[in-house]
Amino acid sequence: MTIEQQLARGPIDLPFLALVLLLTIIGLVMLLSASYASAYYDLEGETGGNPYYYFMRQLVFAVIGLVAMFIITKIDYQWLRLLSVPAIFVSILLLVLVLTPLGRSGGGAQRWLNLGIRFQPLELAKISVIMFFAARLSKRNDQLKGPPKKWNRRTPVGRIGAFLDRIGFLELVPYGAILLVVLFLLYKQPHMSGMILVLISAAAVLFASGIRLYWFLGAGSLAGGALWFLITQTEYMTARIDAWLNPLNDLQGDGWQLWQSQIAIGSGGLLGVGLGNSRQKYMFLPEEHNDFIFAIVCEELGLVGACLIIALFALLIIRGYWLALHARDRFGTLLIVGLTTLTAAQTLLNIGVVTGALPTTGISLPFFSYGGTALVVQLASMGVILGVSRQIVAPKAE
Amino acid sequence: MRRQDPKPRRSAGKSNRSLFRRTIFLMVCLGVVLFIPMVAQLWKLQITQHDYWQERAAGQQLQSVAVNAGRGTIYDSQGEVLAMSATTYNLILSPADLIRNVNNLAENSAELQDEAGEVDEDKVQALLDETRQNVAEFLAQLLDRDVDTFLRRLERTGSYYEELATYLEEDEAEQVRQFIAGYREESGWNMGMPSILYLVETAQRYYPQSSIASHILGFIAENENSGGERVGAQGLEAAYQDLLTGTSGRVVTGKTGLGSELLSSYEEYFDGQDGYDLHLTIDSKIQAMAEQTLAEGIETYDVKEGGFCIVMDPSTGAILAMASSPEFDPNHYVEIITQSLQEELASVAQQYGEDSEEYSAARSAAYNEQLLNKAVSFTYEPGSVFKPLTVAMALEEGIIDPNDHYYCGGSKVVGGRTIHCHQRRGHGDQNVTQALENSCNVALMDIGEQIGAELMWQYWEDFGLMETTGIDLAGEVDSYFWPEDEFKGPYGAQSVAVASFGQTFRVTPIQMIRAFASVINGGHLLTPYVVQSITDDAGSTVYYHETQEARQVLSETTSEILRGMLESVVANGSGHNAYMAGYKIAGKTGTSEKIGEDTNDVVCSFMGLAPVDNPKVLVLLAYDSPERANGTSQYTPSGTYISGGNITAPMAGQLIADILDYLGMEKQYTSQELASSDTTMIRATGYELTVAKGLVQDRGLNVRTVGTGNIVTGQVPAAGVTLPGGSTVILYLGDEAPEEQVEVPNVSGMSPARAKETLENLGLFLRSTGVSDYTDASVMAVNQSMEAGTMVSIGTVVEVRFASNVIDYAPQEA
Repeated sequence: MTIEQQLARGPIDLPFLALVLLLTIIGLVMLLSASYASAYYDLEGETGGNPYYYFMRQLVFAVIGLVAMFIITKIDYQWLRLLSVPAIFVSILLLVLVLTPLGRSGGGAQRWLNLGIRFQPLELAKISVIMFFAARLSKRNDQLKGPPKKWNRRTPVGRIGAFLDRIGFLELVPYGAILLVVLFLLYKQPHMSGMILVLISAAAVLFASGIRLYWFLGAGSLAGGALWFLITQTEYMTARIDAWLNPLNDLQGDGWQLWQSQIAIGSGGLLGVGLGNSRQKYMFLPEEHNDFIFAIVCEELGLVGACLIIALFALLIIRGYWLALHARDRFGTLLIVGLTTLTAAQTLLNIGVVTGALPTTGISLPFFSYGGTALVVQLASMGVILGVSRQIVAPKAE
Repeated sequence: MRRQDPKPRRSAGKSNRSLFRRTIFLMVCLGVVLFIPMVAQLWKLQITQHDYWQERAAGQQLQSVAVNAGRGTIYDSQGEVLAMSATTYNLILSPADLIRNVNNLAENSAELQDEAGEVDEDKVQALLDETRQNVAEFLAQLLDRDVDTFLRRLERTGSYYEELATYLEEDEAEQVRQFIAGYREESGWNMGMPSILYLVETAQRYYPQSSIASHILGFIAENENSGGERVGAQGLEAAYQDLLTGTSGRVVTGKTGLGSELLSSYEEYFDGQDGYDLHLTIDSKIQAMAEQTLAEGIETYDVKEGGFCIVMDPSTGAILAMASSPEFDPNHYVEIITQSLQEELASVAQQYGEDSEEYSAARSAAYNEQLLNKAVSFTYEPGSVFKPLTVAMALEEGIIDPNDHYYCGGSKVVGGRTIHCHQRRGHGDQNVTQALENSCNVALMDIGEQIGAELMWQYWEDFGLMETTGIDLAGEVDSYFWPEDEFKGPYGAQSVAVASFGQTFRVTPIQMIRAFASVINGGHLLTPYVVQSITDDAGSTVYYHETQEARQVLSETTSEILRGMLESVVANGSGHNAYMAGYKIAGKTGTSEKIGEDTNDVVCSFMGLAPVDNPKVLVLLAYDSPERANGTSQYTPSGTYISGGNITAPMAGQLIADILDYLGMEKQYTSQELASSDTTMIRATGYELTVAKGLVQDRGLNVRTVGTGNIVTGQVPAAGVTLPGGSTVILYLGDEAPEEQVEVPNVSGMSPARAKETLENLGLFLRSTGVSDYTDASVMAVNQSMEAGTMVSIGTVVEVRFASNVIDYAPQEA
């Protein structure tokens, strides 16, 4: 047995696993509560009036996801270095396919692909980007050890090349290229929140890997400028921002959802109206079992329950970064940083949107929101983190 | 930054430290710091703004259905229901919702779409038609009308509110509910029938005794401030509006965002308070008698302006009955129900047409007139009925003595004006009692002069004539008197003179009877009332009326003297047509001119009480303007002399007797009355004549024999029959046998003695009622209990009412 194989058989991190299982179970319970009413009353639609419709489907995917998670923990994550390159190309291919007639549209955007099962390629793309970045950036130090590429300083091209090399631009080119392609394809769907999530998790991996800070400052101000332009100069975004700031002005449109969400949260109070007793779920709050499930959580469980669940998420994230710090190698660290940041960003953005702290954008809450592939991919990525945790070197006995 | 790591795990330590630091940075940022604003936002929404959002949530999640509090029931003193509420339903159709719901259905149901997923208009139209047909057929069957009627209404696609039927009863409402509830199952389509066809609850007010006590009860109607609610508009319904209404309760149910009602577990009830029930002093039996008396008199004497009747318990102020004519039916208060008003309207309609302004003015005048409760909302000149008050105040002040004598020469000159007594030749010398018996104006003017304006005004105030009585009915008005300084001033003498016999000022009937009650009840001025007690829906009493005495106006002694005088007025004077043997009726007549009206019409009234020693009832009955046979005649077309003593006193006497009978009062006879009081025939048949005669005569009966023989073989009447004492019974002797049947003769116009003789010759017996003074030649039979020509068994007692003509009034000449 090689050292790698022995390492891959180490114990998985139990606190992280416990948090994942806890969140999955609570998520399922809350999904049942939140979706019960709309499933029950949707007599002509897909549920046919079966109140457990959404819950049963989510339960099936949760089981699949958990099985996938345990299988992935058994795989030596070093294989992912090899897998990352085909994964990113497959992802890009699928994202392209979404835009072809093979894609399926819904809610004004073309995001789904139906290849036997209906899923969002974005889910795969997020993970692929993280894997690819982590795998490539983990080799940065090793590359630097080798003889640096000699630039011919006598030619202008060489001088520019040397300059770009010195400021670290050339190193960023492949990452930038991949990111631009993925973001462009998401932009074509369009999928604003997907772009944000890919951008954040990719940036986190780049950040952790030691890319010079001024690139982030530069990219950050560029993104800020672009965002400001979008918000002030495009009607679509202006309307969204306005709906966020003054939901009452637009109760017929986007404002309605936020308004209803705030009613749900606000009426929950300190202790909530009790599990299962939400009234906002009775067709007042749209997407109540989906992007806005957290509002139902707040209504039913109150500030206390909501803070407990936020604490579980926070602990999961902190434990994730803790595992990143203790990972056996740079690849493991960066992989966990990417996946944890993705989970954290999704959680924070979702809660921010639901509570009205951020403008409305469609981001689901990990473990809670209804969505089969999202849950499976979420649990699978947790499996990756747990897989990395197996190979953490045990502290030396004193 | 340290250049040399003490324990370099890897060669690239600097890079690893950067990785470590940056990961820690991310951990702190994403794991802790960024959650803080989220929790802060939650705190803001759930704690700081909780009430605000809670309110918004309740506003949209709950539907509050008002449960109307039942309006209180009104009972009479015997527990009979006079007014009650019941729930009825209005049936509402929303054709627009039918269209909308079917279109919604079409968008969501594959069955109504073609293969491409587009809505199939033909199928939708077919469903629409089918639904309309079903609904129309159901409605046609429910409401017993044409299917087409409802189809037309279902096709008013722009309408959300079609009122199909009002005041549906519970069983019909239940049919509607079942149709609505079962429609989805029956048709197979979930098209939200409850929003297309629904019931709206309304409360209906019933007055089971229709026009009985209508002016006391009033009615309910919408007004401009009631917001579509029907509120009390008259009488008790108005006076006790707040107590009768109660407070509406609510059922709060959850609802879904689509508007349908949620599961029952979300229901919350907020109890309403049903309206309180009123228990009146009014006895509907006595009320019916009063209304009947009023109606009969109006009919008999062709009374043009209706009248009023108040029956009061003078010892408490409780109103036992209060009638006003013309009357109305509170169930249909807009309808004119009085025949005379209907005829008047018909003639206006004929003259001007029903669309004319004249007609609508007449219509609304008639409407207002029938709603007017004359007992409290109308003033009149009391006339001679007022005289006992003048006498009482003079006696109380010691200004006069009952034995003082007054001389009436037919008129009195006051302040240069000659004021006549109704008897032009004068009443001669009279004491105070005789002055009242004669209803002498001159004597009263003398007494009034002795009292003086100052004291008279003071007593009017004490008698409560200058203030409303405070009776618990809506719409009470106040009296009209002279300005105080004018009345008391140097030119007030004429006013004092006419006021002393009750003319040229106006009081309400309720003020009059209240003041009169104090004259005869020991001087106590009481607040009249109609609500004895108020109970809540649990039956516990929340209010009980205790007798309220405003002040004592007269002493018991004065009151007793007045009762005696008033008894004498009925026994010997102008009120004798009110006499009924055994009831001890006392009272005072009144015939008052309507000063200021350009007619010579009069109000004929009578204030009567009984039994005189301890009055249980005080009745004020008045007829306003009996028709004259011709312009200046003193007689009605039917030949009755127009005065309170002739028109009102007999009606009032009968009414008082009926009320006392109903109240179960023992009759009290004087010895003279006792002679004619009833006795029972004994069995005389089979005895020897002399023995039989003795037995019969011991019973106070006279004997007449038919046939010859010594043994009584038959008798009329049979043993056990009750007949008036002094009647002559027939004993048959030998072969003579009584006839089976005889024809009742017409005794009208006969004197009592002749009537008795006529009847007894036929083997019938007379029981006389009314005036019993057989010595007065003017006394004659006015009606009989059995019509002439009726075949009756021999021995039957025929009741005949006698009355005499009283000239107690003659119009003043200008």
